[in-house]
Amino acid sequence: MSQTSVLSSLSEINEKYRMFRTITSETDAGDAKFLFSAKDNLTSKDMETCSGSRILEGYRPPFDATSIARMREAGGLLVGKTNMDEFGFGTFSTNSAFGVPRNPYDLERSCGGSSGGAACAAAVMEGHVAIGVSTGGSICCPASFCGVYGIVPTYGRVSRYGLLDYGNSLDKIGIISSNASDLGKYVGIMAGADPRDPTSCVQPAIGARRKLESVAVPKGAAEGVSEAVRKAFADGLEALKGMGVDVETVEMPSLKYAIPAYYVIATSEASTNLARYCGMRYGHQYGDLSLKFDDYFTSFRSQYFGEEAKRRILLGTFTRMVGFRDRYYSKARMVRQSIIGEYRSVLRGCDAVLTPTMPFVSPKFSDISIMTPVESYKADILTGPPNIAGMPHASVPCGYDGDGMPVGMQFVADHWDEGVLFSAAEEWEKNFDAVRPEVSI
Amino acid sequence: MDRETVEKVARSAHLKLTEEELEKFSRDLVDILGYFAMLDEAPDCEGFGIDPIGVADVLRDDEPRMELDPDALLEGMDTYDNYVRGPRLL
Repeated sequence: MSQTSVLSSLSEINEKYRMFRTITSETDAGDAKFLFSAKDNLTSKDMETCSGSRILEGYRPPFDATSIARMREAGGLLVGKTNMDEFGFGTFSTNSAFGVPRNPYDLERSCGGSSGGAACAAAVMEGHVAIGVSTGGSICCPASFCGVYGIVPTYGRVSRYGLLDYGNSLDKIGIISSNASDLGKYVGIMAGADPRDPTSCVQPAIGARRKLESVAVPKGAAEGVSEAVRKAFADGLEALKGMGVDVETVEMPSLKYAIPAYYVIATSEASTNLARYCGMRYGHQYGDLSLKFDDYFTSFRSQYFGEEAKRRILLGTFTRMVGFRDRYYSKARMVRQSIIGEYRSVLRGCDAVLTPTMPFVSPKFSDISIMTPVESYKADILTGPPNIAGMPHASVPCGYDGDGMPVGMQFVADHWDEGVLFSAAEEWEKNFDAVRPEVSI
Repeated sequence: MDRETVEKVARSAHLKLTEEELEKFSRDLVDILGYFAMLDEAPDCEGFGIDPIGVADVLRDDEPRMELDPDALLEGMDTYDNYVRGPRLL
């Protein structure tokens, strides 16, 4: 299908899968070298940017995020902004104010989250390049649920300028695609120092690709995961051994603390970041000016933030309060340091740490609707650790359950060592029989 | 978490919750903080910072520059006579 044909079919595709929040009005791809989409929490000059939230409805940024600007400079045409959980707050993309993307393998199931629209676009449109953002698992989770490849580079590798922050010390911009070779190609385009984001300015150049020779599997990594995931992961390990990769088992006792530590840090940071959304400057404005100063801001926030956003604001505000800060926020930062130390220690003896990506295949929307918040948070149990540690990681499809739903496995490498992940994904792709979803438009 | 504490936290976060939300978030936060209690048993550690990687200050020369058109920044904002309209301070 030509690029122009893809452009003309976007509305129809979106009607079925609901992966886009906004679609370009361009009908001719012209001399674009490639088509790409961006998660709706990255600013773009020509499209509304809402981060899945009603409070930002109508916000049109006057500038491009650095990641989008660099993709455009490389010849990319931005075809749309992809749907997501409000501000990234979710694992299933069901917390968006603008509809829920549907899994291309089964429309009754989730695409994962929070970059669910991005993974859906990558799965439905072969060769499409989707920019995703991960704070605690928001790239690898949807990549796993949608049977595609996803990479989260090291924290600081891609400038966050123009990203609507969720957790400043956690947010990372990456790529989702049905082609493994796209991971390295497009991370390479987006990466590099940007004076507008000082955390991007300490990075070394992306190193040469390095063949994956050994992986370590944390003891208990497959405990608590579904039988289908356990089996696909075991098959994946056998396939890796067949490719000449050494597999060893290691102890990583700190990983079990990653999820509570992640949620404390993430919500603490989010609760301060979201203070800026208050009925002035961005999105919804024009409130009742007869209200008192604080009441004016409170009225917008109470009306337009969704349920999960309110829950996380409350949680993050509480864990930063005097009397609780040491128990939660400071302790969570200590846990983060322990996890980084543990990864580094293991990665001195091997190329990557390997686990399943998600503990189960994509659930049905009916099952998601009865999950408690804690049950939902625990779904990040395998994607949380590399995210809190800022380590680069990639999810690759490794099998399918009895209903044909994809299972993913996740490679984690040391800070700045994306090269080994690019190679691992590309080598894996050559040896894995992927089953593409049937897309009928 | 009791309702009074949730109300206090909500006030601090500029959120006004309905009765139904107060009930629900009180229950949810008890559940979530109960799960977070496992952090108490995690070992302490030295040398923890804010970011997961080492970062350094990046300073530019102190030269005025205008990267964004101020008029473009004001587009879509509630303005009058070049001022941004907001609620009364007093």
